Amino acid sequence: MVRLRYVIIALVVVGLGLFAVVYFSPSEEKRVRKQFDLLSEYVSRDPDENTIAMAHKMQKLGSLFNDSCELKIAVEVLSGTYTREDIASYAARGRARFPKLSLGFHDLEVTFPESGVAKVSLTARLTGRSRAGEQMRETRELECLLKKSEKKWLFSNIEVIEVLRK
Amino acid sequence: MAMDKGIRQFLFPSLTPWFLVRVCLVAIFAYLFFGYVFIPIRIQGTSMEPTYRNGGMNFCSMLHYLFSKPKRHDVVAVRFAGNRVMLLKRVVALEGEQVEFRGGKLFVGGEELPEPYVLNPCNWNLPPREVEKGSVYVVGDNRSMPIENHYFGQTSVKRIIGVPLW
Repeated sequence: MVRLRYVIIALVVVGLGLFAVVYFSPSEEKRVRKQFDLLSEYVSRDPDENTIAMAHKMQKLGSLFNDSCELKIAVEVLSGTYTREDIASYAARGRARFPKLSLGFHDLEVTFPESGVAKVSLTARLTGRSRAGEQMRETRELECLLKKSEKKWLFSNIEVIEVLRK
Repeated sequence: MAMDKGIRQFLFPSLTPWFLVRVCLVAIFAYLFFGYVFIPIRIQGTSMEPTYRNGGMNFCSMLHYLFSKPKRHDVVAVRFAGNRVMLLKRVVALEGEQVEFRGGKLFVGGEELPEPYVLNPCNWNLPPREVEKGSVYVVGDNRSMPIENHYFGQTSVKRIIGVPLW
């Protein structure tokens, strides 16, 4: 009887351990989602952000992207392939115009069409206030491709879905 | 006396198992009804004025196109980003039809389309274009802004998720 009790306790402990391992170890999907959390963190800014923090964020921002990242958007001037340095530079310039900026991602749907590739459909919401005091609020549906490189998921393709075409 | 008891029982019901079952059923029904059948929406923007005012509240009826297709002049909710952001626009042309704006007047299939809902005159000009298969052409009722600032065009019928309730 006593032995049975120990067996049950051992089984419960092993079960809880397995559950904890499965629950807390980051799955590939969690790793992909984490990249979006980081992107949101690096793009967003508060009015009191100093230059060092800004430079640090931009450096980190570049590391989220592949060596070359393709952007597809209805505005042809902006479509093209960018290096991670280009992206960091453009982001820094864009952020400089907005003392307060917030980028949020919602409704993420992550799929893995092939090994080492993650396809994510999501809603991106960018809100901010320019130096002139103008409010900006942009919402877009995006489709992103992330490729796995040295155990890191890096953005390699971002497409802004065109809902209405004149 | 019996009336008082009835009112008290209605306002402060006893926490019986049957009452809890009723609460759960009402909660589930409300979740399904307002999550999938009549979705509450808040209108942001002026593109459908004066038909729908900025800041107004409404419900998006999701079952409207269960057994039918969008028709000309219908006001529809177009899924814009994720499941929570939609555009409210009016269908002006169906697939295969030719659309153009000439001097602020809308022409469909070469003939001027009467639009009693447009109260603000405009001087929009847009060369003729054919609506693709599986798409409809949608425009807002408020044409008082320059054509570049008004978000309209053709969209896939699959993106039309419902109509405003009133």
